[in-house]
Amino acid sequence: MTTEAPPAAGQALEEEPDAPPPRGGKSRDKLRHGVLAVWSALALLYLFIPIFIIVLFSFNDNQGRFNFTWQGFTLRHWADPFADPDLARSLVNSIEIALISTAIATALGTFMAMALVRYRFRGRSGVDFFVFMPLSSPEVVLGAALLAMFLTLNVNTGFVTIVIAHVMFTVSYVVVTVKARLEGMDRHIEEAAMDLGATEWTTFRKITLPMIAPGVAAAAMLAAAISFDDYVITSFNAGQTQTFPLFIFGATRQGVPAEVNVLATMLLIVVLLLMGLNVLIQKRLAARDAARTA
Amino acid sequence: MSLHRRRQLLPWLFIGPGLLWLLIFFLYPLLNQASVSLMTGNPEQGYDLTWAFSNYWDAISEYKEQFGRSIVYAAISTILCLIIAFPLAYYAAFHAGRFKNLILLLIILPFFMSYVLRTVAWQLILSDDGTVVSFFRSIGVLGDDGRLLASSTAVIAGITYNFLPFMALPLYVALEKIDPRLLEAATDLYASRATAFRKVTVPLALPGIFAGSLLTFIPACGDFINAALLGTPQQYMIGNVIQSKFLNILDYPQAAALSFTLMLFILIGIFLYARVLGARNLTQAAV
Amino acid sequence: MAEQTRRRFLGRTGSLALAYALAGCGIEGTLEKAQKAATPIPEVTHKKVPLGNWTFSNWPLYIDKQVIKDFDKQFGGHVKYVEDINDNDEFYGKVRQQLQAGESIGRDIVTLTDYMCVKWVRNRYVEPLDKKNLPNVVNNLVDNLKSVPYDKEREFTVPWQSGAVGIGYNPKKTGRELNSVDDLFDPAFKGRVTMLNEAYDSAGLTLLSMGVNPTEASIDQILAAIEKIQKAADAGQFRRFTGNDYSTDLAKGNIWVAHAYSGDIVQLQSDNPDLKFIYPDEGAMLFTDNMMIPAKAEHMYAAETMMNYVYEPEVAATLAIYVNYLSPVKGVQEVVEKSDPEIANNPLIFPSDEIRAKLHPYPALSETDERTMKEAMAKVTGA
Repeated sequence: MTTEAPPAAGQALEEEPDAPPPRGGKSRDKLRHGVLAVWSALALLYLFIPIFIIVLFSFNDNQGRFNFTWQGFTLRHWADPFADPDLARSLVNSIEIALISTAIATALGTFMAMALVRYRFRGRSGVDFFVFMPLSSPEVVLGAALLAMFLTLNVNTGFVTIVIAHVMFTVSYVVVTVKARLEGMDRHIEEAAMDLGATEWTTFRKITLPMIAPGVAAAAMLAAAISFDDYVITSFNAGQTQTFPLFIFGATRQGVPAEVNVLATMLLIVVLLLMGLNVLIQKRLAARDAARTA
Repeated sequence: MSLHRRRQLLPWLFIGPGLLWLLIFFLYPLLNQASVSLMTGNPEQGYDLTWAFSNYWDAISEYKEQFGRSIVYAAISTILCLIIAFPLAYYAAFHAGRFKNLILLLIILPFFMSYVLRTVAWQLILSDDGTVVSFFRSIGVLGDDGRLLASSTAVIAGITYNFLPFMALPLYVALEKIDPRLLEAATDLYASRATAFRKVTVPLALPGIFAGSLLTFIPACGDFINAALLGTPQQYMIGNVIQSKFLNILDYPQAAALSFTLMLFILIGIFLYARVLGARNLTQAAV
Repeated sequence: MAEQTRRRFLGRTGSLALAYALAGCGIEGTLEKAQKAATPIPEVTHKKVPLGNWTFSNWPLYIDKQVIKDFDKQFGGHVKYVEDINDNDEFYGKVRQQLQAGESIGRDIVTLTDYMCVKWVRNRYVEPLDKKNLPNVVNNLVDNLKSVPYDKEREFTVPWQSGAVGIGYNPKKTGRELNSVDDLFDPAFKGRVTMLNEAYDSAGLTLLSMGVNPTEASIDQILAAIEKIQKAADAGQFRRFTGNDYSTDLAKGNIWVAHAYSGDIVQLQSDNPDLKFIYPDEGAMLFTDNMMIPAKAEHMYAAETMMNYVYEPEVAATLAIYVNYLSPVKGVQEVVEKSDPEIANNPLIFPSDEIRAKLHPYPALSETDERTMKEAMAKVTGA
């Protein structure tokens, strides 16, 4: 059995380790791989069926205000999707709120998760339990109670209070997700680093953080998604600020305009493009590393 | 400051900001609601704190059906989510290579497309005269007059659909950190792939399963919107009751009492679940 | 020692928080306020001032934004038009605390549906209007809306748009024409009917089928109507109880008959041309969204100027063409005729006077009665 040189801290950990050797023949493994791939594709397809409909109906030539029946193909909704300044503003608000609250919640939650998993201290199980509580409270009661507090303290509801509320209920998601990454994680590499003289902070920065990065990234994505799509708590604490879900819910009374579909599709495309870019960059980086170590 | 002292304070330093945030913006409003749950009164004459624990008893006895239903729907949805998400997360963690992040992104992307639009889309797809229902009718799963919408199937399907990312992401996170060389070692030691999966992968993925189940089950219990849009009154969950009591009937004490009862059920459930999976998961130190 | 300090700190903070929370206990009632407010309304004068920056809260998609631009151009100032009303109850939940505490809610006009306006007017959460600033309203308000039970002289409320709550159906699926409220209860349509979950709408329409005038119904009569709905629901008559979301079901044929809003059917007819809307023979409910000036608003003259502006027939016509609900302004039909004859001749948007006479506004219930009604309805709808 060959012993590989220990990976350079923080770097090669991002490389994909080799797949285990096939057992029962390569064909069996290929079958397994194939089945998994098909299942995953089906699961993703299932997730995206409504999305296809939403995108499709952004091209619907609807004559009335509702957008339920296909009445013909048109590009007119795409001609000027930002025509309604309030709709555009609400989308921008939602994006800004999601970015800010995700940043805060991810930071707060990651550190909490680290403390909860790595250290023993009094009150740990209490805090552990406490972190689950925001998840279990119905949104309507939580939202109203938070509003009551803001009003009592004479705080004006609006953008800031929405961010505060969003951080409040996404922190728990971050903590739970990052914990799932931290629990059972091998500490030996970190201990090795510290044995070699790295301070705790350097170890954290160069070893721990990259190792938990996938967990933190996943938690951040989750927090962003929840924040973007939230309705109930936001509606209580939004004041006169409109967010995308608030606008759409209100619009259902008159019929959600197809421009909403257009904006949602545009968001989808932008995010996919960014991700595609990310994949490309990863590929470049990996190629460059391979070239460098060769 | 001594190293020992520093070590002692460190966890609190880490927890501090997050905990403070939650204490101020969650616990305080929550305590306020706790006091409301013990009040009696009506919107006209106002509410007074009378320590009316009877609110809780009334809440449980009157709405036990909805409580039960919420827990059942949430549990079924969680199991379905686990079944659907696990292979997906596994594939992403082990076989996807540099497309890992892309798959993760695809999993949560539907969330950026507004709940209302997604549900309307499902209503269109599953409508009585649509292809899906016709297909099921033709193969006999649904009766001639059968429908998919406005039924418990639709509500559970809606909950499953909307909470899938909450299960998939924690699962992925736990699976991705498993070193494949462990599996390699297992198979080198003559374990079959199935045994290796059972004895190596699953235990190591347990934190993810635990986290995913909780992140799915807990919010699903309090969900109201799937039942409202995809169900009939026979499917209404405790979330619908709380929503109605709070916004429509303005019975704040009962709404608060119902919420706390729900929270209590959920917290008890978490406790038992943690026990079943091994209490280590809830307060586990690193290996 | 660090442990002890920490524990004590937590303990102390905890009990302090609890004390704080409990000290803030007791939520004020509205009865006192209402009783105080039953005093006669003084005549008010809102002097003409520069409009400045003021806020108009409304439902989404309820105005042609050009109207706002034109208004600003004509009268100066700048209106912040906020579409933050998504639901009457939700909006009330949002601003209730400030209203009860007598504080300004930061808006100069809010547009809420009748039954919510009853609450606000009764509790004096609104400012009385200076009719001198509202000549168009006084002259052009349609006759059947000149007085409502909860605001007999229109001193606090000005209708924005009305709508009829009647029956939308697909004649191809039902096999026959419908013309009565009892058609909603026809067992031939079992499982293919939806009813609105808002008690005012459902109980109101059902009362008409029982020969009672909903506007003057007593709580007992209302409960009897809800009883009728309950019986039908138990027999499986209704597929669902809905808010606005019956529209997909009706358009797709999942249901054949819906308790529906006139404006929705106008829009749905382009999705499904078979759909029809009827004002039942017994009559239909009339809902009106009304503009009100919240108490302690700062820009009352600006608000009244806007209210007056939208009662000019030309402006009202622009709104009617955009919104497609029932305009409360006289003379609009003639203006609309010139540019959009189709809309002008659509009985769903411009019903004849005969039909208007059959449209009944919601009853003005006391808060106790309202709660009784809502609780009874909640039992039927399972919430």
